Formats: sequence, structure tokens, C-alpha cells
Amino acid sequence: MAATLDILSWILIVIGAGLSIVGAVGLLRFPDFFTRLHAAGIADTLGAWALMVGILLQAESWLVAVKLILIVVFLFFTSPTATHALARAALASRLNPWTKNATGPKP
Amino acid sequence: MILAIDIALLVMLAVVGIAIIRLRNLFAVVMLSGIYSLLMASTFVLLDAVDVAFTEAAVGAGISTVLLLGVLTLTKSREKIPVTTPLLPLVTVVVTGALLIYGTWDLPAFGDPNAPAHRHVAPEYLAEATHETGAPNVVTAVLASYRGYDTLGEVTVIFTAGIGVLLLLSGSGVLRRREPEENDDKPGGAA
Amino acid sequence: MFTAAAIGILVTMSLALMRALLGPTTFDRILALNMVGTKTTLLIAVVGFLTDRPDFMDIALVYALINFIGVIAVLRYTKYGEFLTEGSAEE
Repeated sequence: MAATLDILSWILIVIGAGLSIVGAVGLLRFPDFFTRLHAAGIADTLGAWALMVGILLQAESWLVAVKLILIVVFLFFTSPTATHALARAALASRLNPWTKNATGPKP
Repeated sequence: MILAIDIALLVMLAVVGIAIIRLRNLFAVVMLSGIYSLLMASTFVLLDAVDVAFTEAAVGAGISTVLLLGVLTLTKSREKIPVTTPLLPLVTVVVTGALLIYGTWDLPAFGDPNAPAHRHVAPEYLAEATHETGAPNVVTAVLASYRGYDTLGEVTVIFTAGIGVLLLLSGSGVLRRREPEENDDKPGGAA
Repeated sequence: MFTAAAIGILVTMSLALMRALLGPTTFDRILALNMVGTKTTLLIAVVGFLTDRPDFMDIALVYALINFIGVIAVLRYTKYGEFLTEGSAEE
């Protein structure tokens, strides 16, 4: 049982850390704000979620587990909300999305 | 491993600090100082100073970012390039830093149980706090009972500072909204 | 296991930091700040397990909330502030 839990949390933690790094690479390498938001918002949310669940499987007491579940729930709601608010604010300030034809986002 | 995390965080802190000095876009500086606070808070957690870390995150990354942004809406967001070379401040900072580092040589090691701070009144507090004050948490007992007046003074200072900031920000906001071409939303409203 | 998680988080943090340094628009920096904030939450939770002191979870929990409130507050200012146009004109 413990070994199964260990393997599961290893898998989840590797997925989480990998997704976080992929999201951060996207944040660094993508051409404009909206594509970066896409990389960071989606990969980051799932990455954080997988990492926390992976840690959750290793929790020893119920109190810690409940707190971790609360963190997961908060992150699961607040992270997409923050991403959405960012995208809306960027659109409202007339930041143009990048397209293949244009050389870059117009101010 | 903790040492490696420490070193990584400190390197990031140094990078952010240098970037804050070099950048002229003040909005970027505010964002970077928020990141600086978060990194600093992580360092405090690694040093077991959880309460300090909590304050750092709430004040440094939360409130002061918002306050600085409120100030930025009232002023220009580009720093002027200084005309003189800041040689005297540089010398002052280097000398002060060297003195401070020299001072740390006499400090007891981190977490040393024989450090003077742990031998003066701490054993007495730990032994007596529960039945002298009735508070189950020793930190609460020290803050609210043994150092009650001190805490009262601190709270007064913070309260006064908060009122001062609110007055400053909202006062300029009223002035700005009187200008005809300005349809800015209230800049100090949420401060 | 927690070491691997901590390394992943630190790498992510440093990459997000680079984006915060590069800019170029203000929103990129806010996004990077948000990412560093989330990663700080995770790092504190992982460090709690790494040092066998899971009491740090409280702090991580509060950080998650502070981070969210911080981003929303920052956005409220960017919506109306004039530094926004200047930031995007820099590209």
C-alpha cells in the first residue's frame, strides 16, 4: 500500500514539476503576451495541482491533508480566475494578439 | 538540500536587487519588488522564522505593491536618469556593508541554544508563561502580556502611518478628479 | 521525492523571474509575479515536507490567498493607470 502511494506521488510530482517547467519555458519563449498567458495559465494550474496532490499522498496526519486539500482547491479556483482577469485587462487596454503575418504586437 | 534552496533563493534575490537598481520603468520595479518580497519570505520560512515570513508576504508582496501602484497612478512611471555619478553613496554603502559583515562575525551561530538571546529571559518565559498569563501560546503571552505596552506602541505607530498614507493618497485623488480632462478612477480608493 | 519537486519549483521560479526582468509589457510582469507567487506557495509546502515540519501548510495556504488578492488588486490599478500605455509603447 505504502509502495503504491509512493509510486503514485512520484508520478504526480514528476508530472507537476515537468508541467511547471514547461509552462515557465513557454512563459519565456512565446512571442507575445497572450500566448505566454496561455502557456503559463494552463500548464501552471495543472502543474501546481499535480504537485500538491503528489505531496498530499505523503501527508501523515489528517490536519495536514485537509490544509493541503484547501490549498489545492484555492489554487484550482484562483489561478484560472487570475489568468482570466489578466487576459481581460490586457484586452481592455487594447493589447493586440500576435498573428503570424504581423512582426509583433502593435502598441 | 535546504542549503541548496537557500543558495538558489539568495542568487535570485541578488539578481532581482540588481535589476531593481538598473531598471528605469517604475512599474517593472514595483513588480520586481513584489517578487523580491516573495523570495525573501521563502528565505524566512527556510530560516524557521515563519511569523516574519508571513508579515513579509502580507506587507511586502501584498500591501506595499498596491500602495506603490497607487502612488504610480499619481506620478510619472519613469525614473529620471541621474546627472551626477553616485560615487559618494556607493562608498557609503560599501563601507556600511563591510562594517555590518564584520559585525556578523561576533554573532552566535544560527540556532545556537547557548546564544545570549536564548539564555536571558527565554527560559523564564517558557517556564512561567502559562500559569502567569493564562495564554496557551508562549509567543502570544510575550507579545500581549509581558510586552503589552510595547505592542500597544507598535500598533499605534502602524495605525498612524496607515491614516497618514490614506490621507496622502485620497487627498491627491480629490485634487486630480477636479481637473476637467481627467476621468481617472479614484486612485486612492482601495488603498 | 520532495527534493525533485523543490528543484522543479526553483527552476520554474528562475525562468519566471527572467520573464519579469525582460518584460516587455506590464502584463507580462504581472503574469510573472503571479507565477512566482504560486511557486512560492508550492515551495513552502514542499519545504515543510522536506524538513518534516508540515505545520508550514498554514503559511502556504495564506500565501495562496494573498497572491490571488494581490493580482486582482494590481489589475484594478493597471486598468486605469497611465503607466499601462507607456509600458506597451516600449516594445
